[in-house]
Amino acid sequence: MNTGLNFGHLHVASAYSTHYGVTLPEALAEQAAAQGASFLAVTDRDGLYGAVKHVRACVAAGIRPGLGAELAVHDDEYRPLGRVVVLAHGSTEGRGYAALCRAVSAAHGGGGQRGALTSGSTGPSISRARLADLSQLTSLTVLLGPDSDVGLAIGRRDNTDAAVRLAHWQRALPTQSVVLEVVCHLAESGTVGSVTPATRMLALAENAGLPAVLSNAVRYGTPEEAVTADLADTARFLRPLAELETPQTNGQAWLKPAGAMHQVARMVVDAGLHDDGALERLLRDTEQLADRCSLDPVSDIGLGRARMPEARIIGVTGDPVTELWRRARSGIADLYSASGSRAVEAAHAQLAHEMKTVEHLGFASYFLTVSRVADIIRGMGIRIQARGSGVGSVLNYALRTSSVEPIENGLLWERFLSPERQTLPDIDIDVESARRHDIYREVFRAFGSDRVSLMSMTNAYRGRGAVRDAGLALGLPDAQINVIAKQMWRFNARDFRRALEEKPELEALATEVRESQQLDLLVDLTAKLDRLPRHISVHPCGVILSDASLLDRTPVQASGMGLPMSQYDKHDMDPMGLIKLDILGVRMQSAMAHAVEEHHRLTGESIDLDRVPLDDEKTFELIRSTRTLGIFQIESPGQMELVGKLQPEVFNDLTVEISLFRPGPMKNNMPLKYLQARHGEVAPDYIHPRFEPILRETNGVVIFHEQVMRLFDELTGCGLGKADVFRRHLGKPEQLPQIEKYLREKALARGFSVKVIDQVWTVLAGFGSFGFAKAHGAAFALPTYQSAWLKTHHPAAFLAGLLTHDPGMWPKDLIVAEARVLGVPVLPLDVQSSALDYRVEDLADGSQGIRLALPELVGSTETERERIARHQPFGSLQDFRDRVHPRRRTFEALARVGALDTFIDYDRSRRHELLAHIQSLRGTAVIIRADQLAFEVELPVPRYSGLRESGGRTGAITSLELRGRTQTDLELLDLNLAVSTHQMKRFHALFKELGVTPASELGNLPGGTEVLLAGVRRATNTPPMRGGRRVVFISLDDGTGPVANVVFFHDAQERVGGQVFQTNYMLVRGRTRRSGARGVSVTGENIWDLFDVARQVKERHARERAAAEEAASAAAYAAELAAQERALKSASPGGILHNLRAAQSA
Amino acid sequence: MPQIIDTPVDVELSADGDPRAFIWNRFEHTVIGQPQAVFKRTRWWENEGTPTRIDTELWRLDASRGGEEQHRYDLRRNDDGSWILALDWG
Repeated sequence: MNTGLNFGHLHVASAYSTHYGVTLPEALAEQAAAQGASFLAVTDRDGLYGAVKHVRACVAAGIRPGLGAELAVHDDEYRPLGRVVVLAHGSTEGRGYAALCRAVSAAHGGGGQRGALTSGSTGPSISRARLADLSQLTSLTVLLGPDSDVGLAIGRRDNTDAAVRLAHWQRALPTQSVVLEVVCHLAESGTVGSVTPATRMLALAENAGLPAVLSNAVRYGTPEEAVTADLADTARFLRPLAELETPQTNGQAWLKPAGAMHQVARMVVDAGLHDDGALERLLRDTEQLADRCSLDPVSDIGLGRARMPEARIIGVTGDPVTELWRRARSGIADLYSASGSRAVEAAHAQLAHEMKTVEHLGFASYFLTVSRVADIIRGMGIRIQARGSGVGSVLNYALRTSSVEPIENGLLWERFLSPERQTLPDIDIDVESARRHDIYREVFRAFGSDRVSLMSMTNAYRGRGAVRDAGLALGLPDAQINVIAKQMWRFNARDFRRALEEKPELEALATEVRESQQLDLLVDLTAKLDRLPRHISVHPCGVILSDASLLDRTPVQASGMGLPMSQYDKHDMDPMGLIKLDILGVRMQSAMAHAVEEHHRLTGESIDLDRVPLDDEKTFELIRSTRTLGIFQIESPGQMELVGKLQPEVFNDLTVEISLFRPGPMKNNMPLKYLQARHGEVAPDYIHPRFEPILRETNGVVIFHEQVMRLFDELTGCGLGKADVFRRHLGKPEQLPQIEKYLREKALARGFSVKVIDQVWTVLAGFGSFGFAKAHGAAFALPTYQSAWLKTHHPAAFLAGLLTHDPGMWPKDLIVAEARVLGVPVLPLDVQSSALDYRVEDLADGSQGIRLALPELVGSTETERERIARHQPFGSLQDFRDRVHPRRRTFEALARVGALDTFIDYDRSRRHELLAHIQSLRGTAVIIRADQLAFEVELPVPRYSGLRESGGRTGAITSLELRGRTQTDLELLDLNLAVSTHQMKRFHALFKELGVTPASELGNLPGGTEVLLAGVRRATNTPPMRGGRRVVFISLDDGTGPVANVVFFHDAQERVGGQVFQTNYMLVRGRTRRSGARGVSVTGENIWDLFDVARQVKERHARERAAAEEAASAAAYAAELAAQERALKSASPGGILHNLRAAQSA
Repeated sequence: MPQIIDTPVDVELSADGDPRAFIWNRFEHTVIGQPQAVFKRTRWWENEGTPTRIDTELWRLDASRGGEEQHRYDLRRNDDGSWILALDWG
């Protein structure tokens, strides 16, 4: 491809220009380098979304990066001036890049500038005045191309207007900032992108004495990707291909090599009358601008240079290192003194070890920053729990950033940070999910919004989105796309065609695809969209903390919650030296906080969950019973099974359990190996006595990253920091020979035999990068234990927390069922006592119940619910209506589910009267202000019973609304939740008749028993499995107790097809499978739709009834005949009897 | 009125990629001046299969046979790189 010619592309959209560009920056840079280019700019639409990836890709490809953005501009009166390309100048010590960041942020309404309010477009737009400000000191070049107001005037063939508009730009912007951009896509004459407007643009530049550059307004790397760009257009305009108003004129917006671009230049110059040397000048000016816009990754963009918040911001006056030492030492004194002097000494020694690395890497401010954030959160009274490898650090523990003690738990600092680790450290903090936004606001307030930004995340196309947008492009009907989209899961859209061939549940779709040209195309187009960036949104937990230069280094735009969000995602943080803190909202933390609050509200006692002893026998008993529904991390069917087999006894067992239940360990069959050793079926194999201290805690099975690191260190003496580098490289097959060579040499020298080395290397190499950091496992195990402790000792409060914050995988009615089993009644919705969250109530018999929360009422508004909560209790129905003024729909729904039963003395049989009364209410409610007393007049609900019997109007309404419905139906309709009885109860008679085994009795059956199970689907899981074949877990709830887990293996999936994912109410035939002492699951063989079964049984009953009736009437007839016969016999034997018999046989 | 030719021809390209000459009816036609390429999009979704390109490549150029008067021609380049002489504009 290298022709010796040079050409630098200045206007290129990457795939991060969502719904516009379609090629990833890495591919663009590689292609440019392969074509012999020495420069490539990426100028994404409305931002720098792909900027960091582009710069890194250019560094990797050995070419010079340029950065810019394609932005809409408006004038002082908010009139649109089209779109321009803003390019940053290089070798300006970062001035150009900073101005570009600021320009992008300004376009998004930041920096005190509003976006285009009246420009007609709703997208981001920057004012020309602001752009002019930022272009001072030759920081930026503004390219006026075909989409600028100048270019648009030329497109209209209005050269005069174009000249006037250009003059405006020249007056507004500093000299040398304005350059005209010539674009020619060799389109047909008379269309956009043809040679005519391009040659006119060149002439305009000549007349105005301005430089012109040639670009290709690139949207994709290769001509083949033009199809994908067509799809992007349909997604952007939300129209099918056939109805696009402005489709791309042709497929020439690709990253053309220098030769092709020079060809274009010749055609453009040849198409008009130009000065001598116009061609050479165009190419030279393009080259010169590329030179000027070449950015130095380090001096211009600051790549790889970390910037922490200034010391005074984190409350430090002196040297951060001294301050860190002081705080850490005092933390150790507080936290370890209770454990004895040896523990204190060990902690101080470890701290000294950790601080050496911190000082060496210059990260003192980082630790102080994180601990400052943790202090802020704790100061707000919010539960906080550190997670991730940072938990392995005594320093973090001493600073109270983390609450897991690392030394006793065998965690390693080097897994988190070491001089060998080149990346910025990463500490994750889990907080109560309900308070996450409050925390963000407080952090912005404390650090200042010029130092803090939320992080963004790029959402890429996945199966369903891809098939929907591909279907839209082809103009397929919504209903058809929906049906297909519903089946697009559990495989990559790129592999759509292969999935169609392989997956039994897709057989029907595969047949349709074979028969339809359009569906065949759909499959290809879906695959093309897969993985392309689709949109950016705020990252669920990332907060960027930096110094006051933050907004010079990252462009920001408003996030959904109003706070500024960086256009950079998590992959960009480390290269850009941006410190990111993951403050993750964890619903379980909110649920536990709610439980603690409820307990405090009712009893006045405060529970400090972080000080609950970790050896409570009752808690472990509950966990071992596998009744773990609602407990953090161990409530899934697979986890229940593993917990049952593992039978945890101490805290470390939970850490092990959680670490085993991960894709890597599962695929490597580690759970089985561990269980065998744990239960004494095989002797633990430590390979060598020197490994025993490392492997003892897991009975000889390598589970944790920390163990791999220790093994490396023991074998080679390389130190734990280096060991972590080796560990990470285990996942890269190409690195293995090198590691093995090093390990063998060193281990031999350190006295290990070849046999031992062979054995241990097999384990290590097989481990790959799998396994789990024990620090993660221990950090997860703590809330696991805490939630189990709450469930054991305060079930009502804990379940109220679960129902309010819904932290787990199970639907609410299963939690309600669990409450029922635990003897905690869930009390119905009641306007007198239901609150905005689930509350625990002390019941008359001394036990506790949970009151259903108001938000469960489907269709009610937040204001209605708030008014109910604010004005409780109500004196009468009238009082309720006057103070709450509910909408009719809400009012009636409340009555239907019994929330207004208080006004009929909780006499459920009168509910129809209540409903009738509400429906008869006319006129508007009296509005009573919040501070006004109600009219204390008793207004009882009138009795309508007489009316109904006489066929009165209200009686008719009642029958329409309530007749034929059970309380459960009404609750499911208005609450989506069956509270009074389980929704499966209505099927129980049917189950009995069919011989269905109740889930609660499964545990009593021996393995291999053939059973029928039935119930409503509560969860579907396809956990990672050894051997790679997909296994489907379905959890069925029949209302008798915990869910029954049915597993469908590959052969059964083929037999039952799509039902395995589609049927929700089902009857299943299968065989029991014992798993460990307590666990039992069922291997499914077949599935039937429960409603079909019920209907068939009903029909059979009807047939049997009809047959019985027929038989009965025949019997009666026969009896009658017999009687007549007797009568006849006594009267006249002979003739009549004979006739009757003949009639009967006829 | 252009005359529809629609016949395969051999095209010789210059070093910079432009058609320099084509051979039609055994006669070499030499290109005069700068030829212009035109790419015209297709409604690919109406055809069978997924396309590799969404446009067709056409070159409009002036050429003459020997010393004869020059004509304007449309040459079409297919996806496989072969050339068709589409039109003779006269």
